[in-house]
Amino acid sequence: MKPAAFRYERPDSVAAALAVLAREGDDAKLLAGGQSLIPILNMRLARPAVLVDLGRVSELHGIRRSAGRWHIRSMTTQAELERTPDLPPALAMAVRHIAHPQIRARGTVGGSLAHMDPLAEWPAVALALDATLMLESNRGTRLVAAKEFIVAPLTTCLRSDELLVEIQLPIRPGPQAFAEVARRPGDFALAGSVLSWPAGARPSIAVFGMGTVQTRLTQVEAALAEGFRPGPELRALAYGEITATSDVHATAEYRRRTAAHLVERLVEQTCKSR
Amino acid sequence: MQITLTVNGISWSGDIEPRKLLADFLRTDLRLTGTHLACEHGICGACTVLINDQPARSCLVFAVQADGCAVTTVEALSADGLSKLQKAFVERRALQCGFCTPGFLMTGEALIRSGQEITEDLLREHLSGHICRCTGYAPIVAAFRDALNVSQSER
Repeated sequence: MKPAAFRYERPDSVAAALAVLAREGDDAKLLAGGQSLIPILNMRLARPAVLVDLGRVSELHGIRRSAGRWHIRSMTTQAELERTPDLPPALAMAVRHIAHPQIRARGTVGGSLAHMDPLAEWPAVALALDATLMLESNRGTRLVAAKEFIVAPLTTCLRSDELLVEIQLPIRPGPQAFAEVARRPGDFALAGSVLSWPAGARPSIAVFGMGTVQTRLTQVEAALAEGFRPGPELRALAYGEITATSDVHATAEYRRRTAAHLVERLVEQTCKSR
Repeated sequence: MQITLTVNGISWSGDIEPRKLLADFLRTDLRLTGTHLACEHGICGACTVLINDQPARSCLVFAVQADGCAVTTVEALSADGLSKLQKAFVERRALQCGFCTPGFLMTGEALIRSGQEITEDLLREHLSGHICRCTGYAPIVAAFRDALNVSQSER
C-alpha cells in the first residue's frame, strides 16, 4: 500500500505547471489536495510517471465575488469554502457534506471536479448552479459549461495539457436546496440532489450518488416550469429520468428511488418559499 | 528531493524520496511512531497530524509536500506531562488498544488551536472523521466534553 515511484515536479506558477503538462502529456498527473488521488496512488490503481504538485501555485488560490458571479480558484480547499460567508446556499450546504473536516482541510474544489467521482457533491452543485469552468493550457484559455465538462465517471473534458484554474458561479437570487443520503456522516452519497430555482427562471435540478455521472433532470425541470407540483407523479417522473448502477453499498433501484424522493422533497421545500 | 520542515518545533533537513508519505517519514525517519497507519486511504483517521495547525491525513500527504511547513504530531501533546485531553481520555477510559487514539487527540488539538466555539454538533462532526473499534465512541465523546469547552448550543 505504498505508491510506485514517480518523478516529482513542483511548479510555482500556472505558466510553469502548463509547461510541465505540455512537455509530459499523458505521463503526468496533477496533484491538488491529494484526498482522492493519493489513495489511488497508495493502492497503485494509477502509476503516473510524473506527479505535478500544484501546492505552491499561489495564482490558483482565492475566492472573490464580482457583481454577478463568484470566482473560485481551483486550489481553494473545501474548508476555505466552508469558512466563506454568503455563498450560494446550495453550495454552502453541499460543502458541509463533503467527506470529513480533516479531508476538507486539504481537498480542493478543482481536485473534486477534475477527479469527477460520480458520487461527489461538487459536480452536481456545478450543474445545478450553472457553473462555468475555466481551463488553461499553453494553447489558450477556454470556458466550459459544467455539462460539457462532465463526460463520464472519473472522466472530464480536460485535455492532457490543460489545467482547471477557476470555477465561476453566477449569482442568482431565488431559493436553493440540497439533500444527501449516506449511511454515516462523511460517507459517500447513496443519493443526493441539488436544486436552484432563480426568480423568473426555470428550476435547475441535479442528482448525484447514482454511480452514473451527475446529471440535470431536464424533464422534471420542464414539468415544474409548466406547473407540475410535488406528488407521486413528480416523483415518478424523476425516477424515470434517473439512471443508476448497483454496487456493494446500494442497488441501482435504491439509488433511483431515494433520489426521486429527495428531488420531491427539495421541490416541496422550494415551492413553500417561492 | 531536499526538504526542510519543522516537526514539533524542531527543524529537520534532508533528502527524501518524493513518494514517501509523511506518515512513513515521521515514523521511519524521525522515529515518531505515535502517528499510526491503518487504512492508508484517508478513511480511518489514525494517521491524523497537524500541518500548519490544520488537521491532515498524513497517509495522504507526501513528505515533500510538507517542505517549509510546521508539522505537529501526538508526541507534542505530552511535552509537559499528559495534556488535559489525554488525562480526560484516561479518566473516561476513552482508549483500549490505543490505535485510533493519536488521531482523535490530533483532531482535538486542531479544534483547540482553531479557537472556534465548539458546540456538541461541531464536536461530533469532527470526531466522525475517526474510526474506533474498541470503545464504542461514547467514552471518547465524554473525554472531549470534559477537556474542551463544549457548549450545548446547536451550530
